[in-house]
Formats: sequence, C-alpha cells, structure tokens
Amino acid sequence: MSPPRARRAAVTGIGVIAPNGTSTETFWKSTQEGTSILDRVTREGCDHLPLRIAGEVREFDASSLIEDRYLVQTDRFSHFAMAAADLALADARLGQADVSGSPFSAGVVTAAGSGGGEFGQRELQRLWGQGSRFVGPYQSIAWFYAASTGQISIRRGFKGPCSVVAADEAGGLDSLAHAARAVWRGTDVILTGAAEAPLAPYSMVCQLGYEELSTVDDPSRAYRPFTAAACGFVPAEGGAMFVVEEESVARERGVPVRATIAGHAATFTGASSWQRSREGLGQAIRVALDEADCAPEEIDVVFADALGTPEADRAEALAITDTLAAHSRRVPVTAPKTGIGRAYCAAPVLDTAAAVLAMEHGLVPPTPNVFDPCHDLDLVMSRARPAELRTALILSRGLMGSNTALVLRHGAAHAA
Amino acid sequence: MTPQVTAKELAELMKKAAGVHVDPDELEQRTDSGFDTFGLDSLGLLGIVGELENRHGMPMPPDAERCKTPRQFLDLVNSTLMAGA
Repeated sequence: MSPPRARRAAVTGIGVIAPNGTSTETFWKSTQEGTSILDRVTREGCDHLPLRIAGEVREFDASSLIEDRYLVQTDRFSHFAMAAADLALADARLGQADVSGSPFSAGVVTAAGSGGGEFGQRELQRLWGQGSRFVGPYQSIAWFYAASTGQISIRRGFKGPCSVVAADEAGGLDSLAHAARAVWRGTDVILTGAAEAPLAPYSMVCQLGYEELSTVDDPSRAYRPFTAAACGFVPAEGGAMFVVEEESVARERGVPVRATIAGHAATFTGASSWQRSREGLGQAIRVALDEADCAPEEIDVVFADALGTPEADRAEALAITDTLAAHSRRVPVTAPKTGIGRAYCAAPVLDTAAAVLAMEHGLVPPTPNVFDPCHDLDLVMSRARPAELRTALILSRGLMGSNTALVLRHGAAHAA
Repeated sequence: MTPQVTAKELAELMKKAAGVHVDPDELEQRTDSGFDTFGLDSLGLLGIVGELENRHGMPMPPDAERCKTPRQFLDLVNSTLMAGA
C-alpha cells in the first residue's frame, strides 16, 4: 500500500470488551496472568447444542452503557462495538468537542464476520411465528455486518470516510490497515476494530458445520493449538476498537502515541486449505515486513493465529519459519486467545490490543492451556515473559481462506 | 367507542418501538414539533405504525409513516381508526 511516509498512523486509544475483561485494564491483567476463562456456554437456548465450551462476555450490561434508542435497533455485536468505541475514545482523550468542529476528518472502519445473529433470529421467529407484520423495521439494519460502523458513525458524529471490511476473520486486522490507509490519505482520525457476538442459538448452529470447531467439553482441553492434542478452536464473543490518528495530530493534542501501524498484507488461499495457508500467510508476512521496512530480526514478538488443528498449526509454524528464518527459533510466539477463545473478526483485534499493551509493559503474555507444543517455535507458556518489545507481528487466518499479517511498532520507537 | 390514540400512548410507543424517551406531557404540548427533534427516525416511526396496526387489527395509510409531527400523525391515525370503526 506504499504509504507516503510523511504521515504515520498512530494508535492513541484502545477499548476492549472481552471475555476476560470489559475494560482494557482488566483485559490486560487477565491476559498477562494467563487466566483462562473458557467455560460452558450459558447463553439462553444454547445448552442442548453439541458446542459446549466458548468464551462468553458475562460482565456486560449494554443498557448501562448505551442509550435505549441505539439499543433497540442493534444486535449484541454492535453493543460490544459501541461500548468498545466509547472506551477507545476515552482512552485517547478524544471528546465530542474534538470532532464536532471537523466531523469529516473523522471516520469509522469495522469488520464483522457474521453480523447480528441474535437480533435476526428473534425477528425471524416473529416472522414465522406471528407473521410479517410482527417483524420490526430495525431488522433491516441490525443483522447486517455493516451495522456497527454505521451506528458508531451516527452516535459519535464521525462523518468522514466510513467503511466495513468483510474479509473473514482476518478482516479484523484488515480493518486496522484500512484505517491506516485512510489516515495516510489525509483523514485525521479513524475509529477502527471489530466485534462479534456469535454465541446465540442460530449463530451457534451455523458454526456447527465448521470441521475446525472444537466440541470437546473440558474447558482446559478444548483449545490447545500447537500441541499434539490440538482438536480445533473454541469460539468467543467480544471486540476491540482503536483510535487511529495521524501521528502529528496526536502529538498536537498532547496524547501519547501508543503504537504505529507500520505494515500490512493480506492473501487468500481458499477455504479449509490449511496446508496452502503456509504459503499464503508467509507471503502476507513478507509483504507486511517489507512495507514496514522491517527486517525479520527486528520482530520482537509474534501473536500467532493459532487455529488449533494439527494441519493449520503446522502451516502457521512453517510460515513463521519460512519468513523469519533463524530468527523464528528465537522470537517469542504467543497466542493469548487460547484463554478466551476465537472471536472471529474480533480475535485478531483483541490480539492487536494485547500486542500494544505487551509492548508498553515489556511483557509477552502467555498461551493458556498449552503446555507441550510440538512445533519448533518458542511459544510463551504458563507465565508472561519480560522482554523489550519494539515491534510486534500479528497473524490471522480465516476459515474461508484469508491470511493477514500486521506489523506494529511501539510508539516510543518514533518519539520525537 | 372508537379507540383514540392519545399523545400519551404515542409517547409510550416511541419508547417501546424506538427507545426514544419523551415525557407524555411534553409531547402533548409540542405536537407540532418535528419527530426528529424528539430523536425519532423514519424506521422508528415505521415501527410505531406496525405496532398500531397490530394493536388495532387494521392497516394504516401509507402516509402514516411519512408524517413529520406528532399532531399530523395522531390526526391521520385517529381519523383512520374512526373511519374503520
């Protein structure tokens, strides 16, 4: 994407609504402690399904965070996105007054894989149970995977470039790259990220067809990527949003630059063709490093995709080895999502939040529930590992064949 | 007796269908103010029309969802209910 280097895309705010914490602080505390919150699915109407273990967001009261007029017209996934956006804006100290003067210089980019399944199910049940006259008009917008971008834009008065990335799970990382591109092209501020709420009956039934889904009913054994016991992935809900703004704008506002988005690339290698993702993910890593003007040796930590099937894990381990060469045996690799599950598009943005926090704290968070890896990687397990972290590589793959790599630089690396 | 939709009932419908909180007395006094000034959008009004149709078991005219103010809306809805009774 060849950025004009004069403009840099800085992360200045992080907002997290995750299964292991509904604030950035609690998320980081749980993540660096390696706490696993994977547990039985308790959401209504799901207890008879063969998918038993997931990462649920249990401490989230949408009605205390979001106005009724937005609540009635949105699904849970947009509730997560709106709440995370509020947290990110507060974190970046970006108030309504900062945007209202030049609303066209502020935009929104989100990614979502499945949209508003819970809202849609309720309305479809009314359609078939009572008739079309009982379907509410907000069904026309709430289920749509683009809903979160639109609602955040309306609610916060962001009238600049707005878009939605529909690109599989890896689309979460792509949304950050879209935000960076918008900033490079001239927009001052973009709210970006992803949120998903796939833990409702209809949505869960849709996932049952994924052969990569783990149906193991022991929370400590259900999601163990990179081990001989890998048996698939555990789904999750939640999301993260970021304030990405032009670096000089951030410095003028006097807010810290937490990280910069330095490089990105995405490839496509086809659904469930995990062996081929070795080449696709490898190519994404090479191009992202090249764009970031980053040598493999400069990567200080890798946040792995960690799908959790033997074939997919092998492909990812080989993609890391292929691209980072000898450095691949030294660089710490982590997958904190083994403690919270994979929230589809939200999984890589939660990793991105963890990566920024890891660089700030000089601490690589561990990979919960994984103790005996069978790949030639330095996987961080059991407890967080102190390290000086200036550059992070975040990897994501989707079940439909997308592969994305994102390179983040620690904010202090570019400090004036 | 013909059921008449009051400003109070409209306020209750605005809350239920669109999540818009408006004091019934205030709505009664401001029936010529635009729905947009109360924060009600077109889909919200459409939801209110649907709810009224279900409650009264009869269709409302297409113009109902295009009304700009509570007074216009209540006049149209009540004359429709009156004619249909």
